[in-house]
Amino acid sequence: MPMTAPFRRVLVANRGEIAVRIIRACHEAGMEAVAVYSDADASAQHVRMADLAVRIGPPPPTESYLRIDAIIAAALEAGAEAIHPGYGFLAERAAFARAVEEAGLVFVGPPSAVIDALGDKLHARRTARDVGVAAVPGTLEAAPVDRPDQVAAILAEAETIGYPLLVKAAAGGGGRGMRRVVSPAGLPAALAGGSREAASAFGDGSVYLEREIAPARHVEVQLLADETGRVVAIGERDCSLQRRHQKLVEEAPAPGLTVEQRRELHGLAVKVATAAGLRNAATAEFLRAPDGSFYFLEVNTRLQVEHGVTELVSGLDIVREQFWLAAGRPLSDEALAAAGRAAEPAGHAIEVRITAEDPSRDFTPTPGRVRRWVMPAGPGVRVDSGIEAGDRVSPEYDNLIAKIMVLAGDRDAAISRLRRALDETEIAGIQTTLPFHRFVARSESFAAGELSTDWVGENWDGPASLARAARIGQLAAGLDALESGLATAVTTGGSLGGTATAPTDSGDGRWARSGRQAVNERWPR
Amino acid sequence: MSSERPSTRVVDPRAVRVATAPATTAIEAAPIVLEPAAVPLAPASGERGGQVLIDGVPAGLRLDRRDAVHVVLVEGQGRETSWSPVIMLPLVPTAGPAIGVVRREVIVDGWRIEVEIESERRAALRERARRGGDETARAGPTEVRAIIPGQVLAVSIAPGDSVLAGQQLLVVEAMKMQNELRAPRDGVVSRVAVGPGRTIEVGDLLLVLE
Repeated sequence: MPMTAPFRRVLVANRGEIAVRIIRACHEAGMEAVAVYSDADASAQHVRMADLAVRIGPPPPTESYLRIDAIIAAALEAGAEAIHPGYGFLAERAAFARAVEEAGLVFVGPPSAVIDALGDKLHARRTARDVGVAAVPGTLEAAPVDRPDQVAAILAEAETIGYPLLVKAAAGGGGRGMRRVVSPAGLPAALAGGSREAASAFGDGSVYLEREIAPARHVEVQLLADETGRVVAIGERDCSLQRRHQKLVEEAPAPGLTVEQRRELHGLAVKVATAAGLRNAATAEFLRAPDGSFYFLEVNTRLQVEHGVTELVSGLDIVREQFWLAAGRPLSDEALAAAGRAAEPAGHAIEVRITAEDPSRDFTPTPGRVRRWVMPAGPGVRVDSGIEAGDRVSPEYDNLIAKIMVLAGDRDAAISRLRRALDETEIAGIQTTLPFHRFVARSESFAAGELSTDWVGENWDGPASLARAARIGQLAAGLDALESGLATAVTTGGSLGGTATAPTDSGDGRWARSGRQAVNERWPR
Repeated sequence: MSSERPSTRVVDPRAVRVATAPATTAIEAAPIVLEPAAVPLAPASGERGGQVLIDGVPAGLRLDRRDAVHVVLVEGQGRETSWSPVIMLPLVPTAGPAIGVVRREVIVDGWRIEVEIESERRAALRERARRGGDETARAGPTEVRAIIPGQVLAVSIAPGDSVLAGQQLLVVEAMKMQNELRAPRDGVVSRVAVGPGRTIEVGDLLLVLE
């Protein structure tokens, strides 16, 4: 029963787990997948899985995955009809979407004009205001950072917003260009510093002011839109567990919301996206204040890392929908049905991001070779990853190495399932965030749904957790060595293997000398 | 460098010292010395709880071996038993020739820990040799004190004797084991504070080395 495919051949302009995820969608839809790779990824999983792979440059992203010309050339050479950008890299670069469009190829995502408009957070905030959706209280125009005569005006504006507030970059993301200001005295310096940082990171130094909402929950709505401009919400996700604006755990639906609150939230997202002329797929982000009110934050015009939890709960394949929407089809019956159920989800899904970071050392990156790699399986478990045992996690790229997702009937069951799945997970060779996620899955606070963007700092004590594990590890390794007779098996000239009361002889002198020699070898002076 | 240990550590020759490899984890865990107790260790199949000494203190602890990399550390007995799954992989030493030191990568609760295991006597000797060098430079006396309680069985030296680091000084029976006490450094015995048959407590002065 052959079904026509949206495209014959698609180039996936990404690497790692998301490239693998998109290649899977291609193959399920009967499309051929073309991978691109840097020299660091020549034998990576996404290259092995693709039907065709094109080298695009050396390991640094600026010389490979960020090279618009090289990727377009690869697509044309390989005969691809469409390009899926994944997330990160070029996914939200309007210039890339435009280059794809101008090359006569299809960009699987919103059109360049929409990426451009929504990429400017000030534009997005004004769009929200125009349709009556409350954005986080703050300014709607770029702050005049180079005008000493307007300092009084901006200080007055800050006074009406209230402290503490945030200076944010209009073109921003990932916390860059962001400054927290607690009093008027710190504002001028924060504006200048934030603007400088934004200019160097994004080539645009525009900054604006936003009230700090704390404690806040981060809630976002998955959107799909077709060429007629019809936008639907597929459901919301809670991504409150973050560290320095990097999400660690995501779940769908957001816990603690009523059906009415869900409908309201989904409605706000659809309103903003419709006004912005959204096509294909995007995610509208909101903050939820302690009083329960939602404030619009921004729209991400790409497939999100955490799209999988929405797929699990809704039953919809979002990447597959993206391809059909990019091919010009109207919203599918499946998508419309999922949108109809979005406010009353039947199950609960949780995702944890396993990254190559050390959660006992403030999540510092830990690139290296993976020696052991056992992922969980069984009912209700989905793993999206792009590596295998023996692969290197390169310092050049994102630290995300696996997304472990679970689906169960309700949140409690999902947490139990997550705990079980993480118990089955085995990774050796590099430190990962697995211990942190095991902690989350056992946390009473998390189980009670006490989520906020401050949760990690308030609840996680990495060194203490590590100390317990280290002692168990030391004991196990010591017992193993005792049982294998390590101490008595190692002889270096002396009579180490004798009984405790063996008479001493000149062997002691040799033993002592060999000991001193070992010292010198270990600690040369 | 590592934590200071009493210079008179008297242990079973089968004892091992397990330390976390330097600079591989965020915490510097104190080294642990494991030695077999008078009761023999459980066989590899690990059916009954074995008795070992952890830093000289008896503990009910054993390993269940599942396969080449999976072991389970079993602590306690009966209803109090706790099982801790551990993944253990060999590691090739990456830095410097460390004779007699075995490295392992262990994974516990997702934490990756590199440990170094060596004969406790060897480790102690190495430390004594290092410290001996330091102390010879200072040329001060070294008081050798008991770190386990027991009974002195034999005294191998007398005041005025010259001894080399590692040379046997006393034999002490403790925890049903005969333990020999060796010189922490080169020196001359200036005083012997105990004789055969004497019962000693932790901290008692045994002898003084000049």
